[in-house]
Amino acid sequence: MKEETREIARGLRRRDPDLLDELIARYQHRLPRYLWTLTGNRGTAEDLFQETWIRVLEKCHQYNPRWRFETWLFSIARNLAIDLLRRRQPESLDALLHPGGEGTAREWPDRESATPYETVATGEQSERIKGILQRLPPDAREVLLLRFQEDLDLSEIAEVVKAPLSTVKSRLYRGLEALRNLLEEESV
Amino acid sequence: MNPDVHVRACRLIDASHVEGISAPEREWLDAHLAECTACRARVHANERALRAVRSNTVSVDPALVSTTQARVRLRAGELRENQVRMRALWISCTLSWVLGVASAPLVWRTFQWIGLHAALPNLIWETAFALWWLLPAGVVTVLVAWNQRRTANQEGFTSLPQ
Repeated sequence: MKEETREIARGLRRRDPDLLDELIARYQHRLPRYLWTLTGNRGTAEDLFQETWIRVLEKCHQYNPRWRFETWLFSIARNLAIDLLRRRQPESLDALLHPGGEGTAREWPDRESATPYETVATGEQSERIKGILQRLPPDAREVLLLRFQEDLDLSEIAEVVKAPLSTVKSRLYRGLEALRNLLEEESV
Repeated sequence: MNPDVHVRACRLIDASHVEGISAPEREWLDAHLAECTACRARVHANERALRAVRSNTVSVDPALVSTTQARVRLRAGELRENQVRMRALWISCTLSWVLGVASAPLVWRTFQWIGLHAALPNLIWETAFALWWLLPAGVVTVLVAWNQRRTANQEGFTSLPQ
């Protein structure tokens, strides 16, 4: 893994176009999914996807191979998302992560390849789960997705969200409890 | 059973997902779960919650990837051109500085000679000499600052809707 990150760092310093093409293709699902989690809007997530890669190109010499590439990538994406959302609505991040407020449907990702769970949880049930995820506190939802969907470890999540490790842990515990309770309430 | 035992078990069940637990803790937890239905229900509830998180998948327009790749290649080309321009600018500045320093005594004598023959006060030809030196550097500084500002503006969120 270390060798791979060093290889990526070397390629980025050279601004190797083939490497960038490969990375863009490799993260074509994970990065938009994370951006959707942050913004809740498909169009914005797509714009941010492109901007993130432009920023990766411009800041390529800043990548530290000590971290996995996705940690740095998500960190850049998150900063861009926050900058954009702050410019649109200069309130707290919590509020920014709920554009439109109550009564506005949050646009959620479409289904892609079906996992075994998804095969079972089709249609209405899948929509209900998405609805439940929407009701989680945004900061807890973000770390839950980074931990259990993107498989980042705690220190990597702390690096992405720029928060102390203890904060990340407490958000994870809080998010897990909230999600468990919501699923129980809904009996999904 | 002591309620504290269940509290500990629930804490370990959550911790096993969030930050991991030690081998002795795992051993203790497995023994407890073998005989406690309530705590087993907690395990199932957590697993269901995590499945819900993992079921949040996305579909991506294939055009997004190719468009992004094209944009990145275009920007890489711009950055390369900019780098070449900046390198040329720095080389000219260095050359100009070296030549300036090398020719300074000659230029000084030339200005002195002109001052003497034109019967100018010393302050005038000395100021002219200073301007001869400072003006090109001032112009280059302004040009570099303008170029950096222009580049910074281009790097902003030009493509994102407001």
